[in-house]
Amino acid sequence: MPLAIELKSITKRFGAFVANEDVNLAVESGKIHAIIGENGAGKTTLMNVLFGLLQPDEGEIWIDGEKKNLPNPAAAIAAGIGMVHQHFKLVPSLTVAENVFLGMEIRKGGLIDHAAQIRRTAELSRQFGLQVDPTERVGLLSVGIEQRIEILKVLARGARIIILDEPTAVLTPQESRELFQTLRGFVAQGMTVIFISHHLEEVMEVSDNVSVLRLGKNVATRPTAELTKSDLVQLMVGRLVSFDRLPRVASVGKTVLEVEDLWARDDRRLPALRGVSFGVRAGEIVGIAGVAGNGQTELAEVLSGLRPSSHGSIQLNGRTITGASAREIRAAGVGHVPGDRLVRGVDRNASISMNLLMGRQDQSPWSKHGIINRAYLLEQTQALIKRFDIRARGPESTAKSLSGGNIQKIVLAREFTGDADCLLIDQPTRGVDIGAQESIHGEIMRQRDAGKAILLISVQLDELIRLADRILVMFGGTIMGEIPGDRVDEEEIGMLMAGVVPEAHSNTVGAA
Amino acid sequence: MSDRFDSLFGQGLAILFALGLGALVILTVDESPVRVFVTLLNGAFGSPERIAGTLLQTTPILICGIAACISFRGGLFNIGIEGQLFMGGFWATWVGFSFNLPPALHLLLAMAAAVIAGMAWIAIPAFFRARYKTNEVVSTILANYVAILFTSYLTINWFKRSGGQSETPPIFESAYLPELFSFSRLNWGLIIGLVLAIGVYLFFTRTARGYAVSEMGANPKFAEYGGIDIKKQTFLVLIASGAVGGLAGGVEALGVHHRFMEGFAPGFGFDGVIAALLANGNPIGTIFTALFFGALRSGSLLLEVDTTASREIITVIQALIILAVSAQITIRRKASDSTAGERRWKF
Repeated sequence: MPLAIELKSITKRFGAFVANEDVNLAVESGKIHAIIGENGAGKTTLMNVLFGLLQPDEGEIWIDGEKKNLPNPAAAIAAGIGMVHQHFKLVPSLTVAENVFLGMEIRKGGLIDHAAQIRRTAELSRQFGLQVDPTERVGLLSVGIEQRIEILKVLARGARIIILDEPTAVLTPQESRELFQTLRGFVAQGMTVIFISHHLEEVMEVSDNVSVLRLGKNVATRPTAELTKSDLVQLMVGRLVSFDRLPRVASVGKTVLEVEDLWARDDRRLPALRGVSFGVRAGEIVGIAGVAGNGQTELAEVLSGLRPSSHGSIQLNGRTITGASAREIRAAGVGHVPGDRLVRGVDRNASISMNLLMGRQDQSPWSKHGIINRAYLLEQTQALIKRFDIRARGPESTAKSLSGGNIQKIVLAREFTGDADCLLIDQPTRGVDIGAQESIHGEIMRQRDAGKAILLISVQLDELIRLADRILVMFGGTIMGEIPGDRVDEEEIGMLMAGVVPEAHSNTVGAA
Repeated sequence: MSDRFDSLFGQGLAILFALGLGALVILTVDESPVRVFVTLLNGAFGSPERIAGTLLQTTPILICGIAACISFRGGLFNIGIEGQLFMGGFWATWVGFSFNLPPALHLLLAMAAAVIAGMAWIAIPAFFRARYKTNEVVSTILANYVAILFTSYLTINWFKRSGGQSETPPIFESAYLPELFSFSRLNWGLIIGLVLAIGVYLFFTRTARGYAVSEMGANPKFAEYGGIDIKKQTFLVLIASGAVGGLAGGVEALGVHHRFMEGFAPGFGFDGVIAALLANGNPIGTIFTALFFGALRSGSLLLEVDTTASREIITVIQALIILAVSAQITIRRKASDSTAGERRWKF
């Protein structure tokens, strides 16, 4: 098979962060090649390198057997590469044909030849089975049709190799199926498609070959038919390195958090949680495993009052808190360590003490008669800096001057020292160095042994095995199954993460 | 601490740069920049009367600036202060000439009318911002034009003083805001402005509610996560900002003009917004930036008398300063990796 694209030892760094490390990638011509990996695995960076948007620090790009230098997207387009971005770049007030030819208008006597543009758009639309009305205004069209226009733009520029960055993220299932059909049509006409995704199902469904990226490296390139979904999951999340469970003393008590048949939508208004039920008892850590993007974030947001649920109930200590505000849920005794700590967890420009104050500014002794008790705040800040080993110059250091691990310790110091009975902990050690990881894990165990009910969401399996008493596996917004923390079977968990229920699996599914 | 120094130093430099550019402009109209600047300084600070005149101009800019600071601190942009000032000025005047009441009570009621008018005038933009996230910059700017024309309509068609200009009857003396000195119309409005500046500063740096507003401005997602009711607080912050904007109009009407007329307070609201921007939204800093703008305004009066330059030159210099300072702020923000927090002053 001739190769449409060959990337040789591509390395791309952003400061100290290595987004792509020594990536080799061979894409056969006339095939659909999927690139899969978790968020932050380096998929988009790699494609931006291929499209000339980013310059690699090392490595070579070969297209159709020729070594190419791609200083900008124009060079990539000239080499026959087209890219359909995740976020569309269309002008709503222009027609479909005008958008397709935007920046490369067909001219006649110095004026735009609208008739020719409409004709050409209709031709392309017929040839590739991308149904559009060339004269319609884009602002009136659905997202699925907007995507077709983006693809037509790429085709009109003569692309033979088409890169689609998470094309299905914005589509309904029906639109996705239509897209897959279009893509098969492309390869039938000898074109090559590169398809970026983190959805296993669609990769299995549509691709001929698949490459798996993990932490910036290409860990495997195989024909899709040789792989199962659980193979893919294991390649994506990596082999488990250690099973060292932390010792635990206290035993579990009564149920603190009870979730029943919980449904919620994501930011695109698509269902993200589809009937989730489970319970968390005092002195217990319940882990939530899953490939990122299967509803875990939404679960944490709904439970902390930051996202509305559409159905189902949440109870805390027997009291219904469904639909309560973030403030009420905090007051009822829920602490929350958010997954996106730099966005939600801290004000990066504020001092450590001001970050520790959040959520309790109205409570005595933190404030009295509405006036912040600065002496108390300072004293508490110093005590918490010591207790949580936050490495900072002092209570007035800004959060942004600290490392990721120390920022996370600020969040923990705040959330673990209130009088919460229940802690929602989302990705506690993502982007945190090893040393800080140890101390964060230790702190979570102390909270467990102090009788807190803990829901621990993590995409790192070894973290869950270390800490969790039970592990629930999420897939597609549902809980696929439950695994006891001390008897984790790698194969079984991989299958559950891929959305497959193992036959020999006899554990209770769902509720605690 | 060094952050704060950097910011002040950078802004001082930007203002010097703008004055340099202004000097070039002055040269093009065949006038000596030195003479213009000396005349300006002399006009603004040359005698006790002139200093009082400068402070008189400073007062409404300061109060409008504080109104702007309140909204900026909450991450909101009330650009409709001019309109709130007009509404406040009109309704304070209305109370001032429509009723005849005991002195202290009359003044208090007239001031209250100004505050309520300011709040009412921002209520609709505030509601739509809080409830539907309608851009408050656009809605408050639009409300300005309505306010200016509406008060003008009321003045001419309903409350025009018989046989005079387009102005209302004068208010009763019982509603006057007392003057500070015998030789100037400078009045208690200045004291109100200074107390307000310090009060707002303390509110934001010392109180729990002020902390909640500050965090909403700095990182709304963090505030939301911490249990702060963003919608309600957004509404309240804008209302408070509008209240102070209305108060500025009341002070101007009851302290200076003692009546309401067309073109009642040209541009004080906008100057206040700019003064607050130059001060990074810090009400204490706004005292000084408002003084700077007040001095430019009052100095320019002497400029026309003593030099061949027209007072429009002051508008040019003001525009240059705004340009230079906003360029400086933008550069600083780009140089730093942070975004929102750069505008905030420290505790």
